[in-house]
Amino acid sequence: MQNQDGVQVDGEVESATSVPIPEFDEWANFGDQDIMQQHSAIRAEEAEKIPFLGDKEPLSSLAAEYQSGSAILLEKIKVLGEQYAAIRRTRGDGNCFFRSFMFSYLEHILESQDQSEVDRIKANVEQCRKTLQSLGYADFTFEDFFALFLEQLDSVLQGNEASISHDELILRSRDQSVSDYVVMFFRFVTSGEIRKRAEFFEPFILGLTNATVEQFCKSSVEPMGEESDHVHITALSDALGVPIRVVYLDRSSCDTGGVSVNHHDFIPAGSDLPNASGGSEKVSPFITLLYRPGHYDILYPK
Amino acid sequence: MAEDKYNLKNPAVKRILQEVKEMQSNPSDDFMSLPLEENIFDWQFAIRGPSETEFEGGIYHGRIQLPAEYPFKPPSFMLLTPNGRFETQTKICLSISNHHPEHWQPSWSVRTALVALIAFMPTNPNGALGSVEYKKEERRSLAIKSRAAAPRYGTTERQKLIDEIHECMLSKVPPVPQLSPSQDSKEHPSNREGNVQVSSQNDGATPAGEAAAEGSPNPAVGDRIVEEVQEAPLNGNPGPEVARTLNAAPSSGSSQLLQRPEMKVQKPADDRLFTWAAVGLTIAIMVLLFKKFMKSSGHGAVFMDGS
Repeated sequence: MQNQDGVQVDGEVESATSVPIPEFDEWANFGDQDIMQQHSAIRAEEAEKIPFLGDKEPLSSLAAEYQSGSAILLEKIKVLGEQYAAIRRTRGDGNCFFRSFMFSYLEHILESQDQSEVDRIKANVEQCRKTLQSLGYADFTFEDFFALFLEQLDSVLQGNEASISHDELILRSRDQSVSDYVVMFFRFVTSGEIRKRAEFFEPFILGLTNATVEQFCKSSVEPMGEESDHVHITALSDALGVPIRVVYLDRSSCDTGGVSVNHHDFIPAGSDLPNASGGSEKVSPFITLLYRPGHYDILYPK
Repeated sequence: MAEDKYNLKNPAVKRILQEVKEMQSNPSDDFMSLPLEENIFDWQFAIRGPSETEFEGGIYHGRIQLPAEYPFKPPSFMLLTPNGRFETQTKICLSISNHHPEHWQPSWSVRTALVALIAFMPTNPNGALGSVEYKKEERRSLAIKSRAAAPRYGTTERQKLIDEIHECMLSKVPPVPQLSPSQDSKEHPSNREGNVQVSSQNDGATPAGEAAAEGSPNPAVGDRIVEEVQEAPLNGNPGPEVARTLNAAPSSGSSQLLQRPEMKVQKPADDRLFTWAAVGLTIAIMVLLFKKFMKSSGHGAVFMDGS
């Protein structure tokens, strides 16, 4: 069931590429170079179709996508429409979760001008830096990525010479030399958090891939283009202390008859949020992502 | 050096300059690497053949090309010095790491890759692209040759850099281990038999399970290095760790000198070798049987350092 969803959602992303696969006499000759060339060719083609970050679209555009599709999905999109006004798509390049998070977070800061939130996350970022250092990462391997994120953070706060507009934020999010660096920053933060709390994450990782924590970070967190799962989301949310809501749009239906859309809130564990001790209920995420099997986009509440 | 020529806003340039700085402030005895003055995306390097292997004492030059998207895309490597393990002037890229190229990660660096490359030298190529499988004797004679002169390659500026690196490495890397004095002094043919005998004894040691078990600890050490290598490029900053392993692994004791006499054999492979090898193998088996007999009768310690 879920697979069909995946195909439908990702169909445009994965199967429609028309990059010719060159003929090889022998597979032995199909070296790394060829694989990488083909990869970048596919990526390049992908890039023409959808930017790293799309424009804000009304939710009706989502419904249009499923016009001839599943009735359950159309029902669910209708339900979504009651709470959410718009969607902003991200490119399906495996970095969509991190990219969605990046823009959503920076946009929130730009709009709220929440200086205390910026101060708070900066403290967490410093903590992440120490985590990586204690895990044995050489400074030069991650500091550029950290610096670039902090730079973006400062520039969305208004009133200094580096300040940028909302339009500029969109442009930067579409610019590979900024966007990918921030994505990579999040990957470092996520990897550091998972390694630091390896005991906590181990059972989840085993459930996902049957890999060790170390292997998982090496193969599924740090390399660009590796898709994110709830492990990544939990780790990033915990490390930065930012709650994230993920709304699930899939074909699962409930028995009660009425269609509802599930969501899950990732609330940072042991964070220094003022009300973290009491109930996680009180913390309401300002980042909402729409999950369709294999892909994350940004949702805007009404 | 090249700071003014490059756009420091370019993140790849920034990163590469940082790596150059890091490389210069933490020099290693095992390798040396510098970018060309005219293009910091193009580096020359030399690595030292790992000790206790047939590459010991060798100085192997190569070229690294960093992509414009570095560190998001991996650097590519090629060797310029004939070495008997990797083809020369052929990109070895990441095939050596047994990992899919898209699994390159920005937390790795030129340093990490060089350390991995050194660690890969003594491993079995398993038919990987860009790999060759020469005999130990040939590799050893290439190691000797590698010190004599740096390879000729590219522009004069590049050649200058290669020569500079070569000089510097020569001062750091002790020469290829020599024949031991006792063997050296004898030059008559019967000496050959002695050499062949010991080397084939060692070759024969691996298939004969008992011999390996009672003989040198090398198979185990070899395995350990291979394991380290598979892991090597993946660590956040595995550089020193692997380097340490490489240096530390074989230092398990002077007994190794006795057990690995082939380290001292310098003669290149030779057709007559096969004839002698057959003779040597026979003798070796007898020696091993004798050793085993001695061991079982309680006199083993004399020959085997109590192993």
